[in-house]
Amino acid sequence: MPKDIKGIEIRQILELNPLKILKIHNEKWLGNSVSHPRPQRPGLGLSGYLKHIQTGRIQIFGKTEIGYLHNLKDEEKSRCLKNYLSLKLPGIIVSENIVIEEEWIAMAAHFHTPILISELHTAPLISRLNAFLYQYFSKKIKLNGVLMDIMSQGVLLTGASGIGKSETALELVNKGYHLIADDVTEFYLDSNDDLIGRSNPIIKSLMEVRGLGIININDIFGAAAVLEEKKLNLVINLEKWDAKKKYDRLGEDNFYFKILGLDIPLITLPVAPGRNLSTIIEVAVRNFLAKKSGRKTYLEIKKENP
Amino acid sequence: MIEKTQVIINKLGLHARAAAKLSHLANMYNANIYLIYNEDKVNAKSLLGILTLAASVGNEIILQASGNDEKEAITAISNLFNRKFDEES
Repeated sequence: MPKDIKGIEIRQILELNPLKILKIHNEKWLGNSVSHPRPQRPGLGLSGYLKHIQTGRIQIFGKTEIGYLHNLKDEEKSRCLKNYLSLKLPGIIVSENIVIEEEWIAMAAHFHTPILISELHTAPLISRLNAFLYQYFSKKIKLNGVLMDIMSQGVLLTGASGIGKSETALELVNKGYHLIADDVTEFYLDSNDDLIGRSNPIIKSLMEVRGLGIININDIFGAAAVLEEKKLNLVINLEKWDAKKKYDRLGEDNFYFKILGLDIPLITLPVAPGRNLSTIIEVAVRNFLAKKSGRKTYLEIKKENP
Repeated sequence: MIEKTQVIINKLGLHARAAAKLSHLANMYNANIYLIYNEDKVNAKSLLGILTLAASVGNEIILQASGNDEKEAITAISNLFNRKFDEES
């Protein structure tokens, strides 16, 4: 986790992510800050082994934790809870709408810890929280380019300003493919180490086409033409045709675009009058899919013409 | 590469029309020109990019340019900011 990312308040998590919270105890402390992307189940922390309970992590209580506490003798129970709560944890979420004893709430209040009661089961609660926090705390990067969904592949069109990225994207949208973001695409690394791209909310579904100005794809082509986010599979770089440059003639070279430690397949397409870019891109993606499934046309030619 | 700190002095900040003028001007130069604001860095030749900054009056942004006409580019862009994008007197 990069150090420069600030924590997130519990209140913000609740606003942005529906955790089906039914009740909030100690509401006063919803401003507590979570500074770690993974939620934590206290486990042995409740029995006194506190070494690995991290203070920035949001805590999840399920049936196991609550059941364990109920099993303890009163004295033992309050001693264990006190030790645990004295770590000043940012907040505790209890799953499955389990009822909490008043005494525990009071003790948590003493240590400035809010307790939220959720309707969700423990596993979905943790996975929702985890996905959300991961995105919040993940490395982010902005790239200049148009992100599109072409045949279910996330394709980023890059290239110098004015080369015709948006115009090509518009043609592709017209063919029925989906736009995620024009011009500026924001990427984050999710918990599966996939790069997910989305639009900045200010310019969502907007596109700039020289001569037409700013247009709203959502209004013109309908809501189905715009997608919220998409995993990046392929980068297609458009560049001015350079007669001296050697372009891939056989299709046997593999190039990669390096970003946040990942290698994303890269295709460079020269732009010249008379080249129908949207069709070439469409075919490039089809070819990419064929290659991915093991089809290598250039090898087949080599076999036939040794 | 050269950099210049620029304060936004027009009332409406980097709104759509100002951003359009700015990207139009930036496109006249060969240099790569960037605007940096709040750890965000966007291409000054991209209208939508400028809009994502949502920078308003009083904010400080950094103009960055690299290329053979970087000096002229920065001067021209800085002038546009100081002229309040020719929209206010």
